[in-house]
Amino acid sequence: MRWRVPERFIRRCRGDARDGATVGPQQIYIIPTRYGLGFALLLLLIWIGSVNYANNLGFLLTFLLAGLGLVAMLHTWRNLLGLTLRPGRSDPVFKGQQARFEIQVGNPRGGERPGIRLQLAAHEAVAGDLAPRSEQRFTLSTRAERRGRFPIPRCVLSTRYPLGLLHAWCYLELDGEVLVYPAPGPHTPATSQPAYQLSQQGDKGVGADDFVGLRGYRPGDSPRQIAWKVHAREQGLQTKQFGGDRADQLWIDWGHYPGLETEARLSALCRAVLDAAQRQQAFGLRLPELELKPARGDSQRHAALAALALYGEPRP
Amino acid sequence: MNPNELGRRPLLALSLITLLLVAPHFVRLDLRISLAFIAVILLRLASLYLPRLHPGRWLLLGITLAGAALIFTLYPLLIGLPAKVALLALMLGLKLMECRRRRDLYVVVFLGYFTLSTHFLFEQGMLLVAYAFVLVIGLSGLLIEASRATSRPGWPLHSLRLAAGLTAQSLPIMLVLFFLFPRIEGPLWNLGVDNSTGKTGLSDSITLGSISQLIRSRAVAFRVDFDQAIPPPRLRYWRGPVLWHTDGRRWSRGRLVETGPVTFRSDADPVGYQVTLEPSPNDWLYALDLPETLPAGATLSADYQISAKNVRNRRYRYAASSRLDYHTGALSERQRRLGLQLPDTVTSRMRALVAGWRAGTDSDRQLVSRALQFFRSEPFYYTLNPPLLETNPVDQFLFDSRRGFCEHYATSFTLLMRLAGIPARVVTGYQGGQRNPLGNYLIVRQSDAHAWSEVWLAGSGWTRIDPTAAVAPERIERSFEFDLDENADPGVPVIFASADSDLLRSVMKQLRLGLDAANASWHRWILGYSRQQQQSLLQLLGFGSLSEFKLALAMVLTTAALLPLLLLLLRRRERIRPDPVQGDYVKFCRRLARRGLVRQPHEGPRDFARRVIRQRPDLQRQVSAIVNLYIALRYGPSDDPQQRRRLHRLVRGFRA
Repeated sequence: MRWRVPERFIRRCRGDARDGATVGPQQIYIIPTRYGLGFALLLLLIWIGSVNYANNLGFLLTFLLAGLGLVAMLHTWRNLLGLTLRPGRSDPVFKGQQARFEIQVGNPRGGERPGIRLQLAAHEAVAGDLAPRSEQRFTLSTRAERRGRFPIPRCVLSTRYPLGLLHAWCYLELDGEVLVYPAPGPHTPATSQPAYQLSQQGDKGVGADDFVGLRGYRPGDSPRQIAWKVHAREQGLQTKQFGGDRADQLWIDWGHYPGLETEARLSALCRAVLDAAQRQQAFGLRLPELELKPARGDSQRHAALAALALYGEPRP
Repeated sequence: MNPNELGRRPLLALSLITLLLVAPHFVRLDLRISLAFIAVILLRLASLYLPRLHPGRWLLLGITLAGAALIFTLYPLLIGLPAKVALLALMLGLKLMECRRRRDLYVVVFLGYFTLSTHFLFEQGMLLVAYAFVLVIGLSGLLIEASRATSRPGWPLHSLRLAAGLTAQSLPIMLVLFFLFPRIEGPLWNLGVDNSTGKTGLSDSITLGSISQLIRSRAVAFRVDFDQAIPPPRLRYWRGPVLWHTDGRRWSRGRLVETGPVTFRSDADPVGYQVTLEPSPNDWLYALDLPETLPAGATLSADYQISAKNVRNRRYRYAASSRLDYHTGALSERQRRLGLQLPDTVTSRMRALVAGWRAGTDSDRQLVSRALQFFRSEPFYYTLNPPLLETNPVDQFLFDSRRGFCEHYATSFTLLMRLAGIPARVVTGYQGGQRNPLGNYLIVRQSDAHAWSEVWLAGSGWTRIDPTAAVAPERIERSFEFDLDENADPGVPVIFASADSDLLRSVMKQLRLGLDAANASWHRWILGYSRQQQQSLLQLLGFGSLSEFKLALAMVLTTAALLPLLLLLLRRRERIRPDPVQGDYVKFCRRLARRGLVRQPHEGPRDFARRVIRQRPDLQRQVSAIVNLYIALRYGPSDDPQQRRRLHRLVRGFRA
């Protein structure tokens, strides 16, 4: 915001994801815009002219426009009043990427509310016109500068509608956050320890590579894995089992990257997780105070990245 | 598209509104400037559809220079309001030309608001104000449309409607500010020559023919509200400049420098009235013969002429009172000398005429009657087109042409009185005025301009003698209502309209009077509103006189009180309306409750209806119709507006 209000005097509009926030009457600030100041100057000019020419209709016009300005103040204020805001879903990003916060802005009133702008400090505002009794999703984005939890920064909800002469705004502090993963580091080969490790438990028949035998059909088994030839021999429904889940267990370990300071190490680990996830490998993650069991898939990827993101952060 | 870039539609609307903004000025501007302005607008409109036509920077500079050159050729030194208006129009047109971004839109709209204010310097009719209101709505609509994040498809009717709403909502604030804003009496700086054109009125000297020019104008000179009954026409002499000095052709005020209290004796009751004077270039005020109490700040000269400061070129409203019957007392030596001054043009015929009268009478009073008798019996005619009088107008008029109107009669009569040794002077002003029965006030027009004579007689002091009345008594009893025919032959006598025989004409007259009544309120409350009116309004409201500071405070407080009211109004309007079907049902239950049949909270409509019918079998038909319809509308799949209306009708007609 161009106008700095001392922090302790700022009235904020707060809200969490469940209840959302409603803009209250005393949370709205309003000042004239540059056009508003121009308008005031114009009124002064017309007024002086009217005094000079003793022109009552000039006065009438001056006062009509002054009234218009005052009424516009009321309408600008009302354009924000009672808007509801609810933080929406926000996807995790890597450090250095644009973090996107979704905010649902709702207009419970029966009238339209055009020209609503939502803005993060020093960023371009996102603007929209809210139809009567509707909700609209505004997406704010800002660069994620730090790994970890990134709460929605204080943002400014503002409007200049209807005449553009006045700027009304309110400070929003919504509960909600974006998880920021460490920035992936360069491809550094892991050094000190073997990356692969044989699984102690051995094959459990949940792999995909080597045929290890048959078992009785259970509902839910994929038809591809049903041993149709066995079935054709009228030996009942049997399901083929495959092994091979033993060989490619990868441990991504904090201890594999000695000599790197914490953030760089996390970046390296992040890169390793990404690589493993890309190769569809099952992997486990070992951090000083945390160990993720080997697994594969998106949820493992996310769990690992989240663990890296939150490394060193106090648990909520 | 950059949201700050203006699309085609706003630009189109802006161009059209700009054209409308300047349009009323076209009659005041040089035709070439008006045409140039229209050409610029057309170019702008064309370039919206054919961007090729949009002038580049250099061409625009060329157009600017050409426009400026045109203005400076037509109005060197930019003297006069039209020059300034032309400059404003040039600015507006050029700004419109380079209008691309939102910022430019604001500049044009602000210039537009300013342009609106300039119209009022030339014209102050109600229609123009209505026109200005419409344009304020249009301009504000543009601002509204520009403050949206995205514009709606189609014409921005919604924005216009909101603009009209905003304007309507600001009307009460406008009125409060208008009536309570502390008035500073202008001007703040000298207006110079800007305002000298186009205003008519009496001047402080007459040459023969100057009043006849004035009489052709139907323009209103002033309007008068009387505190009591309006005096009869023969007493309605509105005193203006008093002329003492003549060189034979021209009469002027002379140098009457007398100070000290101006008094007269009178037994008549004072007549109080308020005059709303239309703008005139003069610094004197008009009052009935003779003025007693004056408006604040005005002074009365020894010849009962009221002058005031700051009344030039503005609509001015003042209160005064007069006594219509008076005795001015003794004559000062200086007044006697001035009242007997003679020009070099006195001829022997004139001397002989006066000598003849003097010989036949034994008092001044009889001599005055004799002179009036002369005008009455000799073939003098009252005409607005007197033949041109050349070297010695008075002599020629008295003995040869004998056709003229008030100023001829007044000046020659005064001269003859002076020849007879009676101190005399010419008084100019207005006589009569038309009574408007709709507003019960008097309209005095320029066509009521008049000149008469005052002679000093020992018995009564300065006495008003109107020689015109001797020739054309109708002139005094009735206002001019004839069609002033420019092309009438010189010397054709005026025929006064005897009655309103023609129905159409009388209807037209009524219409004109009605319009003037509206105009008079307009003039009294809006155009003539001044610091004085402000104080009397406050007194009327029971506040007494307020100082500027208290007035400002009252204004701020009233305005501040208006805003919450407005807020309430807006809240009411946007309150979520209950379902009309539900509303009707609630009303139906209320009506039954008044008869003791209160619906229990647990009762659904069907149970309730059953109970009602059990207790009041006479209502069965109505109740079951209403309840069935309600159930169908509220819980059924169909929501037919026609059925909804039917339910509403049934409930309205339901009497338990």
